[in-house]
Amino acid sequence: MSIQKNNAILISEVMMPLDRMVVISETVIMKEALEKMGQSHLGIACIVDDKNILLGILTDGDIRRKLLKVQKPLSALLVDDALEHAIVLPMTTHSDMTLKAAIVLMGDKKIWDFPVVNSQGVLVGLLHLHPAVKALLGC
Amino acid sequence: MINKIIEVGYGKVNKVKIGDKLPLAFIGGPCAIESRDHAFMMAEAIGKICQRIGISWIYKSCYDKDCRSAPDSYHGLGVDDGLRILADIRDEFGIPVVSDFSDPAWATATGEVCDMVQVPAYLCRQTSILRAAALTKRPIHLKKGQFMSPWNMKNSVRKIEAAGNHQILLADRGTFFGYNMLVNDFTCFPIMAKTGYPVCFDGTHSIQMPTSMGNISGGQREFIPYLVRAAAACGINALFMEAHNDPDNAMSDANTVLNIKHLENVLGQAKAAHEFRLEMLEQFGEDNVHSEK
Repeated sequence: MSIQKNNAILISEVMMPLDRMVVISETVIMKEALEKMGQSHLGIACIVDDKNILLGILTDGDIRRKLLKVQKPLSALLVDDALEHAIVLPMTTHSDMTLKAAIVLMGDKKIWDFPVVNSQGVLVGLLHLHPAVKALLGC
Repeated sequence: MINKIIEVGYGKVNKVKIGDKLPLAFIGGPCAIESRDHAFMMAEAIGKICQRIGISWIYKSCYDKDCRSAPDSYHGLGVDDGLRILADIRDEFGIPVVSDFSDPAWATATGEVCDMVQVPAYLCRQTSILRAAALTKRPIHLKKGQFMSPWNMKNSVRKIEAAGNHQILLADRGTFFGYNMLVNDFTCFPIMAKTGYPVCFDGTHSIQMPTSMGNISGGQREFIPYLVRAAAACGINALFMEAHNDPDNAMSDANTVLNIKHLENVLGQAKAAHEFRLEMLEQFGEDNVHSEK
């Protein structure tokens, strides 16, 4: 399959479903969020409310920056709500966007993951760069 | 974060609202209910002081002191007699009352009489106590254990919330500093306030020296006004102090209770410091410096 042909692939065909990504509620504490991220081998956790509306994201990069910035004891940081250290109103995309356009955008923004939401802001999946590129390359 | 306000008082008693930028509330009384006559005498005397100062008040006294160090220390009048006296004080003076409880089996009875139920500091992470307190549906005075970090109190808060109760007052009563000694770290107030619930300073137990007198606790009562002033200036919503007409002969916590002859002095200063803090916030802005972290 040529890359040219794959230009028509939509995000909906490639995105991770909710049960394969890290989705946590707004009351999950940092310690639990880090455990879940570690188990998933993903560098991102999506934080949602009880209606599954995306509230924020917590990424490996955010955590690295927090560790240098926040001077509180580690035991205090670990019991903070993950949402407190999350990026609120993160960049998101929609499932009907083409994969190629999304990857170009991810390159421009220097991000590895794109939360996918519907028109109501409800989280529906995650576009992760590795499977996205593989799909575009047809491998 | 939303600063929650709790309201203490059901039925015909005065309602006491605690939280956000409301006036400082006072929770106080003799540590233990010693007798009906003594409880009434203290209620009348403290009530007059609170009226003169103009501070809203919740009467505190306990019917069972389960954390005594010695087997022959005064344990209290017990659930039935103690709660009957508290109920009569409510009716007579029209004030809300609070007592702690140390056994989940006593929670229902305590909540039926008391306007607020108190979780003892030593038991602040016991799930059965927290759940029982929550199920009373009354506001809960939750004291931070002397062994607990202020941030870990959030776990106790979450246990109460999980049982459906969202009316909590978090109190500091000092933190263990080695053996038989407490210190106060006032950063605990903004840290515990991050839960959204109001915070309280226990000005008399904070000067306690736990079990420093062999089989009873000692204390340095002379430091009460210093810590109370500092706590009020730091930012609290309620002040807790135990008071007694004859501290040396008090049947519980004799070495930490404030002599009632000093109550007006200390309470008046606390109220003034609280009001001055609110004025300062108004004039200079909120405390949220470096909140960008």
